[in-house]
Amino acid sequence: MTKRQAAFYSMTIPALLLFFLLHTYPAIQGIFYSFTNWDGFSEGYRFVGFNNYASLFKDNNVLNSYLFTFKYALVVTILINVLSLLIALGLNSNIKYRNLFRGIYFLPNILGVLIIGYIFNYFFSNVLTQLGDKLGSDVLSVNILGSEKWAWIGVVIVSVWQGIAFNTILYLAGLQTIPKDLYEASNIDGAGKWTTFWKITFPMLAGFFTINMVLALKNGLFVFDQIIALTGGGPGRSTQSIALLIYQGGFQGGEFAYQSANAVIYFIVIIAVSIAQLKFLQRKEM
Amino acid sequence: MNKENSTNWGVTLLIALGSVLILIPLYMTISIALKNPEEMANSVFSLPIGLHFENFANAIEATNFFGALKNSTIITVVAVGIILLTNSLVSYAIARNMDKFKFYKGLYFYFISALFIPFQIIILPVVKLTTTLQMNNIPGLIILYIVYGLAFNIFVYVGYIRSIPIELEEAATVDGASTYGTFWRVIFPLLAPINATIAILSCLSIWNDFLLPLIILGKPESYTLPLVQYVFQGQFSTDFNLAFASYLLALAPMVIVYLFVQKWIINGITQGAVK
Amino acid sequence: MRKITSVILVSIILLLALNACGNNTNNNAAGDSGKKVKLEFFQNKVEAKASFDKLVKKFNDANPNIVVTQVNPPDAETVLKTRVSKKDIPDIIGMGATDTFSQLSKAGLFIDFSGDPLTTNLQPVYTETLKKLTGSEQLNGIPYSANASGIIYNKQMFTELGLTIPTTWDELIAVAQKVKDAGKIPFYLTNKDSWTLLVPFNSLSSNIVGINFYDQRKEGTIKFDSPKFREVAEKQLKLLDFGHKDMAGKNYNDGNTAFAKGESAMYLQGVWAIPEILKANPEMQLGVFPFPATNEPANNKVVSGVDTLLTISKNTGHLEEAKKFIAFLQQAENIQAYIDEQKAFSAVKGVNQSDATVQDLKAAFDSGNIVDFSDHYIPSAMKADSIIQSFYQKKNLDAYVKEFDNEWDKVASRK
Repeated sequence: MTKRQAAFYSMTIPALLLFFLLHTYPAIQGIFYSFTNWDGFSEGYRFVGFNNYASLFKDNNVLNSYLFTFKYALVVTILINVLSLLIALGLNSNIKYRNLFRGIYFLPNILGVLIIGYIFNYFFSNVLTQLGDKLGSDVLSVNILGSEKWAWIGVVIVSVWQGIAFNTILYLAGLQTIPKDLYEASNIDGAGKWTTFWKITFPMLAGFFTINMVLALKNGLFVFDQIIALTGGGPGRSTQSIALLIYQGGFQGGEFAYQSANAVIYFIVIIAVSIAQLKFLQRKEM
Repeated sequence: MNKENSTNWGVTLLIALGSVLILIPLYMTISIALKNPEEMANSVFSLPIGLHFENFANAIEATNFFGALKNSTIITVVAVGIILLTNSLVSYAIARNMDKFKFYKGLYFYFISALFIPFQIIILPVVKLTTTLQMNNIPGLIILYIVYGLAFNIFVYVGYIRSIPIELEEAATVDGASTYGTFWRVIFPLLAPINATIAILSCLSIWNDFLLPLIILGKPESYTLPLVQYVFQGQFSTDFNLAFASYLLALAPMVIVYLFVQKWIINGITQGAVK
Repeated sequence: MRKITSVILVSIILLLALNACGNNTNNNAAGDSGKKVKLEFFQNKVEAKASFDKLVKKFNDANPNIVVTQVNPPDAETVLKTRVSKKDIPDIIGMGATDTFSQLSKAGLFIDFSGDPLTTNLQPVYTETLKKLTGSEQLNGIPYSANASGIIYNKQMFTELGLTIPTTWDELIAVAQKVKDAGKIPFYLTNKDSWTLLVPFNSLSSNIVGINFYDQRKEGTIKFDSPKFREVAEKQLKLLDFGHKDMAGKNYNDGNTAFAKGESAMYLQGVWAIPEILKANPEMQLGVFPFPATNEPANNKVVSGVDTLLTISKNTGHLEEAKKFIAFLQQAENIQAYIDEQKAFSAVKGVNQSDATVQDLKAAFDSGNIVDFSDHYIPSAMKADSIIQSFYQKKNLDAYVKEFDNEWDKVASRK
């Protein structure tokens, strides 16, 4: 047995050491710097205790980025899940060219977020506005990304367009695990489509629903690439997500220590949200 | 949902309409990439009559497309290959011991918890560290992908390995196979479906990754495809057609691969999900 | 199956080995690659990559024992900061005289050029600018080229509408009104790219409140919420009356293209946009005149800053060769080639910009009637450009000046 244990240790210890060196150690360093005033490039720094944390709570740009990120993440999560469930149901019913459609719906997932962002950026500013001019619509003929009020909707559209694909596939997989005879029984009882969905389909999909909600929300809270390509956080700071604020403030603004403190808070928030979400959804599943 | 196998035309129509929404932006990309500025001036919507393939020639030259393609391919193929071989091995050790030993249980949660750490918190320390270790290059980037992949992949692999009956291994052990031998001979072949899932997901995320190459890679000759597009933004500010030809080139390799192995990709993800 | 295990081990060893060899290229160890000295020239201007490539090639051909390599990454200032944080500083750096340069200078990364032969033939105004910016007695960079920002105008349209170049603020507004009355667009505005909003802001701020205002703000003897700065804000808003539809949704690229197509009479940009505009329309007849920020023509200075300065890292092992490269770039024919392509102005005496497009600025340059960019004196963490962008949408002047004060104080308190 000891030989076996030695083999198991030899499988895990190198991975553990590498992971600690390249991931945990930098994370600890990040936390360490959050108690200093290091700008990211100077030779020296001082310890400032909890100053950075105190400043965070006085900084309305931080609050603004949290509000934007949560608003965005919630809307995207709900939209993606509703739409991908509908599409999965559609793809799972008796339709023509099912495999072709399945292939098309999954296509956005393989494309790079950054490049899609650039394409949509052009789309919003030149294609949609021209279309709006043709239709004589005042709303459509103005670039949505240029408006402080509505730019976030543009980011949502791109994220949903790209995010639906993956969740659709997961729901489709879930639908295929539901035994056919359940539906047949339901048909015999004369239940309508709506009832069948709520009584059979949805409960059977509960596990997939949980996974999809958690994944979509986590992606939403980490949003970065789309915003770089679409708005750079603007107009003003109206689409500055937490990740973007940390990157821009820490790298370009020379406030590395301050934004490290922001990242620590962000980490705590993400953990809290994930735990709350899992608790809530798993209770639903029972 | 119907018992009889008649085609549901209503749903087919809806699904078809939805797929048009997916295809329009891609059609626009192709169409803009094939026009020249004069044709653009008339209307964005006109068909690309002129078929200006010179846009592609110019974009290839401007962005050193083949160099970036080579870098992206090397990084993705090597990283995914090593991820499959190493991450599955680590997961096997954890899956088979986590019920018996606290150490492995702790290890499992240690790796999983890393999923919640915002990348921004480690970015600058990682940049410093990689330079100290002389890892600010393509091999270094590959190592980072392999190590950072552990968090998510262990989560997936361990769940799958735990569903494999332990009796299979015991038979092999009785025959005098070593622990490594058992893994490679008995377990690894059984992992094929989940390996497919992990391979696809890792491949997509590494191929399309932008932030890590941006901060790790120093020299322009080691840039990846997404990074090159980012550089490209500033250089051809007034020539949208050239820019779009370049976007299309950057998207094309993955789309071509996808067209050939689309079924396999979707099934791979589906299988991973059902498990 | 033991094979697979060994394959993994071998590949990891290979990777590590590759790492070890792959890195000799960016070490400055001249020892292992014959006698050639390798120098890295890192510069931040995307527009200038091709021009520097030519000069670098010329230098390398003339100096067989030195190999200079140009590095021009995207988001160069951010890349430079991260490289500095890991002590991987390029030998020679070309960058703008920005807040980043002043931060890096204060961190003591660059050599002191005071009294160096490289400084003998420079326009004093630019070396002063650098010293003022870094707030030190040392000179940590060699000014190379200067830019200018003002108002780019469509000469043909000015002729058609019978307009003359305005020299006061009131005249500018009158000209804009005439263009508007003729049913044309006076200014093409690109408010989606926040950095472009700094161009008119700098002209107004540097002329109305002056650069010293920012020193006083640092000392706390003055506030943004003051009549002078409010005048800047009012004039910023006034410009919006002469824009066009969807100006909030247009970016720099759109602006260059639209102006090149003759969509507007004027365009609030710096000379760096000219090559881009001419790329879109090589036939275009355009000029640049100084932004008349006030009603006293004599007080209206051209906003001009050091567009590119050259500096050398303290850690370079090849100081002599690096200086040789800078001296080469300073040679009259080389800097002339550079400024001709970039439509920039020379920081070296006796090298003139004779391009027709920028002749209207020449008088100011000859008489030294120039002033620096205000935003180089505003901490980058404030994101002044985002504050302006938001102001352009909300149009709330009180909130805007207060926002400037609040953000300034907040950033200062976090130092």
